[in-house]
Amino acid sequence: MTSLKRSLASDPSAANISSKVFVRSTRSGKVQKIVRELYLRDDIPCSSQLCTSCLAKAPRDAGGVLVPFVLSAQPAGTRAYPQGHYLVPDTNALLNALDLFEQTSAFYDVIILQTVLEELRNRSLPLYNRLVGLTKSEEKRFYVFFNDFRLETSVVRDVGESINDRNDRAVRRAVKWYSSHLARAVKAAGGRSKKIPAVVMLSDDKENLRKAKEDGIEACSLKDYVNGLENADQLLDMISVAKEGRELRDAKAAENLYREYYSVSKMMTGVRNGTLHQGIFNVSPYNYLEGSVHVPTFDKSLLILGRENINRAVQGDVVVVEVLPKDQWKEPSTKIIEDETMNKNENADAEEGEAVVTEKERRALQEEVKRVHSKSTEGRPQPTARVVGIAKRNWRQYVGHIDESSVSQSVKQSRKQQTVFLIPMDKRIPKIRVRTRQAGEIIGKRVLVTIDSWDRDSRYPVGHFVRSLGELETKGAETEALLLEYDVQYRPFPKAVLDCLPKEGHDWIVPPSKEDPGWRDRRDLRHLEICSIDPVGCQDIDDALHARPLPNGNYEVGVHIADVSHFVKPNNAMDTEASIRGTTVYLVDKRIDMLPMLLGTDLCSLKPYVERYAFSAIWEITPDADIVKSEFTKSVIKSREAFSYEQAQIRVDDPSQQDDLTKAMRTLMMLSKKFKQKRMDAGALSLSSPEVRIETESETSDPIDVKTKKHLDTMSLVEEFMLLANTSVAAKIYEAFPQTAMLRRHGAPPKTNFEELANQLKVKRGLELRVSSSKELADSLDACVDPKEPFFNTLIRILATRCMMSAEYFCSGTQAYPEFRHYGLASEIYTHFTSPIRRYADLVAHRQLAAAIDYEPLDASVRSKGKLEAVCKNINVRHRNAQQAGRASIEYYVGQALKGRVVDEHGFVMKVFSNGFVVLVPRFGIESLIRLRDLADPEPESAFDAEHYVLRTRGSRELSVELFQKVLVRISDVKEEGTGKRKVRFELVSAGEA
Amino acid sequence: MAPPSTQQVLLSPAELSYIHTSLSLTPPIRPDARTSTQFRTLTAETNILPGTNGSARICFADGTEAIVGIKAEVEKSRTTYQAGEDLNFADDDDEDEETRQEEKEAEERRGSNEWVELTVEIPGFRDDDSMPVFLAAMLSEALLADGEFTSRLWINRRYHWKLYLDILLLSQPLSYPLPLLSLTTHLALLSTRLPRLKSELDEDPLFDDDWDASVFLYPREWQKSYTRPPITLLVMAVNDNIIFDPSKEELAVAEAVLAVSIGERSSANAEDGGMEVDSDRNARDLRLLAVRTIDPPSRLTHPGVPNSMNTATGGTAAATIEQASSQREVTEAEGVWQPPRGGAKRKLIAAMIQKVLEPGGVAEEVLDGLDTVELG
Repeated sequence: MTSLKRSLASDPSAANISSKVFVRSTRSGKVQKIVRELYLRDDIPCSSQLCTSCLAKAPRDAGGVLVPFVLSAQPAGTRAYPQGHYLVPDTNALLNALDLFEQTSAFYDVIILQTVLEELRNRSLPLYNRLVGLTKSEEKRFYVFFNDFRLETSVVRDVGESINDRNDRAVRRAVKWYSSHLARAVKAAGGRSKKIPAVVMLSDDKENLRKAKEDGIEACSLKDYVNGLENADQLLDMISVAKEGRELRDAKAAENLYREYYSVSKMMTGVRNGTLHQGIFNVSPYNYLEGSVHVPTFDKSLLILGRENINRAVQGDVVVVEVLPKDQWKEPSTKIIEDETMNKNENADAEEGEAVVTEKERRALQEEVKRVHSKSTEGRPQPTARVVGIAKRNWRQYVGHIDESSVSQSVKQSRKQQTVFLIPMDKRIPKIRVRTRQAGEIIGKRVLVTIDSWDRDSRYPVGHFVRSLGELETKGAETEALLLEYDVQYRPFPKAVLDCLPKEGHDWIVPPSKEDPGWRDRRDLRHLEICSIDPVGCQDIDDALHARPLPNGNYEVGVHIADVSHFVKPNNAMDTEASIRGTTVYLVDKRIDMLPMLLGTDLCSLKPYVERYAFSAIWEITPDADIVKSEFTKSVIKSREAFSYEQAQIRVDDPSQQDDLTKAMRTLMMLSKKFKQKRMDAGALSLSSPEVRIETESETSDPIDVKTKKHLDTMSLVEEFMLLANTSVAAKIYEAFPQTAMLRRHGAPPKTNFEELANQLKVKRGLELRVSSSKELADSLDACVDPKEPFFNTLIRILATRCMMSAEYFCSGTQAYPEFRHYGLASEIYTHFTSPIRRYADLVAHRQLAAAIDYEPLDASVRSKGKLEAVCKNINVRHRNAQQAGRASIEYYVGQALKGRVVDEHGFVMKVFSNGFVVLVPRFGIESLIRLRDLADPEPESAFDAEHYVLRTRGSRELSVELFQKVLVRISDVKEEGTGKRKVRFELVSAGEA
Repeated sequence: MAPPSTQQVLLSPAELSYIHTSLSLTPPIRPDARTSTQFRTLTAETNILPGTNGSARICFADGTEAIVGIKAEVEKSRTTYQAGEDLNFADDDDEDEETRQEEKEAEERRGSNEWVELTVEIPGFRDDDSMPVFLAAMLSEALLADGEFTSRLWINRRYHWKLYLDILLLSQPLSYPLPLLSLTTHLALLSTRLPRLKSELDEDPLFDDDWDASVFLYPREWQKSYTRPPITLLVMAVNDNIIFDPSKEELAVAEAVLAVSIGERSSANAEDGGMEVDSDRNARDLRLLAVRTIDPPSRLTHPGVPNSMNTATGGTAAATIEQASSQREVTEAEGVWQPPRGGAKRKLIAAMIQKVLEPGGVAEEVLDGLDTVELG
């Protein structure tokens, strides 16, 4: 019997064909063998500006345009490579130290091999995305070389060779090819051999380095390479410690502190058949040892108590949990546990004798258990769970400061590497162990770090230092910290975006001739008495209004919105940037724009006295505020005046003002009150959050005072008409595009959210909170009044607001019509239309409305459900982050305004724990914790009555504190020794009238 | 009895008689000069279809050629009544529990015949024609006969591989294609590889994405005999002569045709039997899996007309067809073709099977030959 073995040599083009075989498992569970044929080419350029042969050969696009070559002709040199060098990192070099490559001081002219890029994508998607971002930035000169497609550098896997070895070999082959190719190129150009740049492979793999040496390739470990650079100490800190640590530990064979995670397949199976659950891990802001996971299976979140059960999950991770047996179920703790107070005296370097649970923690937990047991008759233990695996880490870069006590004094000045703790700004993130050589320098600074790993034998995650933002409490550092912490894009607009702006710049005007294409289908509304009402100093004026009586006794009311979609065309660089930013972020002293200044504050902004393009919604409304007819049109307007809320209010209230503009405003005011009443009758909620305004010194913008926001009727005037515009637009675009309309919904909160508040109200005040519908809730909230305390109602509203779901953008095709409902506004359908300058969702709504009125065809990007869903997901996150960043900024400034001052203020108890309570001071809109041990020294004994929410103390200080009680607190600021962090501190002066 | 190849035999009664006579000699003289146990030369190669899990091609010297491609798919097992009861795999540290579990697992590792789907395609035949259907039935019968094959497809209690064997005859069926298809299938199965399982126990299966790490469906140990897929050989008899690998012309005069399916057990199992037969020469432990008789095409040939019944040679032709056939029953004229009648003798069939299975017999020779095929 003959066995036929086909040889490839007979095929003349065999050399150009290679294939790649792998197994692909699809999501539906199919397992396929995939064979990909590779057609090898010889025209993939090396992209070095030294090379002329590649330039001649490199493929051009249909227009004959060549992608410009990236790598510099005179790359930077180092001590080891004075002739200049190109870098070729391998995968683990990138995995360990991508931060290094993002530096601006070094790491230019880097060749990223396709092999490496693909491997990186399999290992870590976030790192891959960052690297792709890097390769796109022109100044860093990163070039992706498709080595697997180039004939000379393609490598076929040998028999018995592991994939990793094959990839390493591919890297070495590419490096070798590059160096010989460049040598030839330089010689061909008549250059001297001294001018040939070295091609250096960067790797942390010893085996790979050894083989490179054998092959005669320039290769270098990351550490050695960085040592040859200028600011080596700083850069060395950025190399991930994960690997180093592993070697260390192998030697020591430390015991494992945490349970091992389940295998991926075990988790998947468990989740699929319902024995395990997957959800996002959230840490309680009051107790760092208590987390919760909301899983789709249950209405209420599952509790996760204690370090062992949390099992290395970090806030935001997608985790897989297993429900614990019933005898381990517990109530959520009523105790405040903070990391800093519990583990103050730890030494970051000490690894021995580390237990997951320190004695102190254990005692705290025992008390907890006792408490639960003592009242097991009526206590309702909640199901608890244990983290058994991480489906997806959501680690990002964290801002924090170095725990000064973890830095040993002796080495503060020296350059010795030591391990220190970083305390993240976000309390829900555990301390991060960071190895650094610059401990002395970064004490007292805001620093940025990333987490590299969290192994079973380490109590805390291990990370590395990225960069310092500046001194603590300096405005620049704190603002940047906020922006980083809330993932706000704050870098200046790139050139590609600015290129999309109108060429005329600030000189742009509405074309005088009506023949201009800009006037097509635009209505001329310049004759109308239009004005805008906004907060003081508002520059980006989105909206303007007008009203005039009609001969039939009705009114014509118009809402005119800046026509941003005229300037921002879909799918150009500016549109992409805006969709990524999602929203403008307002900080106390800074505004991070979604659109470039030129548009936001000038061309789009509906400034007074000048003509502007607008998108108008015009209604005919009866004096009883019934809408007779509505229409939408693109228009040209000329605003007569830009009022602030206060100015407008004064004008409306002043009977001597009888001009048309004021009359129109009075009409609007009258109608808005009727609209509001109608809305309230329908069950709209009036919710509340403590809002304050920071008064700043005009020149330095240093905070001088804090004021609570005053509510004016003109504010609700604008609000009502914006709501009206939003709802009418929502209905219109939904009618035109039932599958792809960009809408906003506010889900009805599950009843369980209100359980606790309802119980508290019942016990403390005998009030009933009915939550079956928004109408019921609104009515029962109205009934929550304390005749002696006008703020009580607001307090309850604040608490109720926290029980709500957050509103979200969505694409109409993804939900059923009843789900469109906006719970808070009691509106069937709603969208955002009125602030296109500062919100991307509005811009999408503008485009859809323009298409709905046949002004322009609908662009593909706002027609595709999938794309819209992605946009919605992003802007929902951005929106939430922007709000949080704004709030955090106010909080910081309140702290700064109070700096060095001691103020006595009234506050209200919002939450009572067994060892402390939370007080909200409405005057400053801040809430803070008062612990028992803050009350007196020694700490008074206490008895906590959880059913009646009363905390009684005896001994060194006798008082009783109960929920909703009005108390007098002394507010001061303290700089905590040890952390160097300034905090607002509350002291209880008296427990008020109780 | 399986139907014959419906290929029309285009031989005259005289030719048939000639072939029959020469095959009846001792030793028989075959039209292509082979010995009675000699196979036509064949060329084989494996892994010719990169997209499949395993494939093979065999080409006989007479120009018949077949390709087999095997694809595997993960499929959810239907839970049987006993198996569905406890599917959670909580860590049971209890040892008893574990051993019990193992026993249970061994019991459950049994596969189901539905896990294999075998189709045969022959040019010029519809897929519901009897020929491809019967060929497929015979091949899958041999494959499933040992009851062991499907257990190789077991992944865990909830999942299994489903194997699709696509057998394609590329050329016209010049001779009865059963042995060709069987050998090709055999090689394809030997070269079949399944992705390596990474998950444990009853989890949703998760596989290694490295194809090089995949495992053979029939794992091999170096220089050791191992369990392998069955082969089906075609044996025919003319008088008492037993002839292997008959060509089309030979089949046209066959008196009995058998399809004999044999399998081989791994040597480890063989030792259990305690039989000390030929342990020195590393004998194969062959097992008979199935025997099917095949209706030889010779039965449909036209009989020759003896001189006594031919008017042209002075004989008298029979008046009716009935008379003619009854007359033919009794005439035993030399050189006049008579289609075979009646069944094969039991003794003959036993001899045919014996010839296949005996040590140093044809089956061993074929398997030795197949062993030389490289499985790339």
